[in-house]
Amino acid sequence: MSAARGTLTHPARTGLLLVAPAVAFVVVFVMVPLVSAVGISLTNLPLIGSWRFIGLENYASVLTDPTFWRAVGYTLLYTAIVTGPILLLGYALAVVVRANRRGATVLRTIFFVPYVIGLTTLSFLMLLEAQPDSGMVNVVLRGLGITDGSTAWLVDGPLASGLLCAMVIWAVSGLTMVLLMSGMQGIPREVYESAELDGATWWVRERTITVPLLRRTIAMTVVLSVIGSLLAFTQFYILTQGGPGSDTTTVVMAIYRRAFVQLQLGAATAMSLVLVVITGLVTAAQFWLLRERS
Amino acid sequence: MAVTTSLPGTAEQGAPAGGTRGASPGSGSSPGVTRPSGPERDTRVRRTLYAVGGVLAALVFVVPLLLALVRAGQPGDVVVAAPDGRFLDLSWVNFRLILDQPEIWRGIVNSVVVSVSTAVLTAVLATLAGYGFAKFGFRGRGVLFGLVLVTLMVPFQAILTPLYLQMNAMRLTDSLLGLVLFYTTVNLPFCVFVMRNAFESVPGEIEDSAHVDGAGTLRMIVSVLRPLVLPGAATAALYAFLASWTEFLGALTFLTDSSLYTLPVSLVNLQQGAYGQVDFGLLAAGSVVAMIPCVVLYVALQRYYVAGLASGAVKG
Repeated sequence: MSAARGTLTHPARTGLLLVAPAVAFVVVFVMVPLVSAVGISLTNLPLIGSWRFIGLENYASVLTDPTFWRAVGYTLLYTAIVTGPILLLGYALAVVVRANRRGATVLRTIFFVPYVIGLTTLSFLMLLEAQPDSGMVNVVLRGLGITDGSTAWLVDGPLASGLLCAMVIWAVSGLTMVLLMSGMQGIPREVYESAELDGATWWVRERTITVPLLRRTIAMTVVLSVIGSLLAFTQFYILTQGGPGSDTTTVVMAIYRRAFVQLQLGAATAMSLVLVVITGLVTAAQFWLLRERS
Repeated sequence: MAVTTSLPGTAEQGAPAGGTRGASPGSGSSPGVTRPSGPERDTRVRRTLYAVGGVLAALVFVVPLLLALVRAGQPGDVVVAAPDGRFLDLSWVNFRLILDQPEIWRGIVNSVVVSVSTAVLTAVLATLAGYGFAKFGFRGRGVLFGLVLVTLMVPFQAILTPLYLQMNAMRLTDSLLGLVLFYTTVNLPFCVFVMRNAFESVPGEIEDSAHVDGAGTLRMIVSVLRPLVLPGAATAALYAFLASWTEFLGALTFLTDSSLYTLPVSLVNLQQGAYGQVDFGLLAAGSVVAMIPCVVLYVALQRYYVAGLASGAVKG
């Protein structure tokens, strides 16, 4: 059906009509804003009131703004911390649930449930459990004799970051698990059999067979998780509001504040485009790195 | 959620449990790990290890969620007190409070309206577009499909301000319809992709014989192809529902009229004290209300969800 003019049963015009609504949505709500972002970033547009072109001034001010760079640095640090554990835990969970054993299906469901519930809801629940004395995080740590149980997790930058990282790793590894599991199940059984006859250990088989064959799937899960981390907002907004001070302010939160609290849409849009470039570069770099390693 | 701190340990227990099959001669000293011997490879010891490791790992994921249910049943003053004898004195009082708190139940209603509408609209548009892209030849098909896919790489968080201005100019801010259109757009690229794959796997002969019977395009989709592509459409609807049910940043940005807030935004306002003294019991109950539909829908329809993710993963 690749005929560019369509056929009697599949006329070209019908095809266009079928795809038109979806394409229109994408054009109106993604393409037009993306293109107009470039124009907006060259103005001093406030949320209300008049505007004028100011050339590259927004970029100059954003790129020399220490709060923006602190947000970029914090977001990169957060991404660096959670990416490895998400991949490792996701891989371990995938190994557990890929087998065709009794219980594997149930475990698969259970491990994925936190991801389905989502970080928004989980953050509200974490808020309760991070309270000094009453929260379960503190109760357990006191029970284990590690702390006295009065830790105020959310008003300390490093502590809050640690707790947030642990929650995110726990919550989103399920996605990595599902993606890797589908990949693992696609590897034919025979590939492993000769290695087993040679007496290769489980670890050797994973390293020499599974990981190389899943290289692209692994790359994709890493990209998905890195992009998700670079765009982190909700869990920080709910648990720390970016504080104390601006210690846990992510890039998206900095953009949100600049736009809707400080009402500087031009500058916020310039920051957004920097973020588009960063996420684009990361995607490209990761694919390049992971492909070369074959 | 206290159990999160024990994660690394769980990963260690989990991994060997699933992969002990064919352990190395060198590791024979560790208890329960035996060398493979013919058809009896899966020994009772190994099965037991798998069960124990699996249960432990499952607890790490389930206990925090059970704790959430307990919190929702505790009065607010118990939630913020160090655990004592009242910890398991559960009641429905928080859920009654939700009914008394218009901000919260309105949030629930708004969330249901927005998420269901998004799910339906996304599934319909993705089905039409998936059919068009899979089975029809027309000029620009490759370009248009590329356009839809490229938007997968433009995260909406990164175009928040221009998008806000655009929606404002179209009078779609402070509007549930606007939010539905926005969520639909966010979910469309992935769902169009899934639906195109679904239609591509339908053999051409089925369509041909229906054409001979005089079926038009819509009748073709609705009555002839429906059984074959319904799983794909279910994936799209489920995916869109879950994404919009828990979405936060967009709702926070595009809605300023508090009567239109979706549940997550109402809960943030509750948490930040916009509705008076913060009641943590109420917050826990509201979170559980937010959590339940996700869990129920996912558990009921998970094979569609996982199949959709896998189809996106394998071909993406």
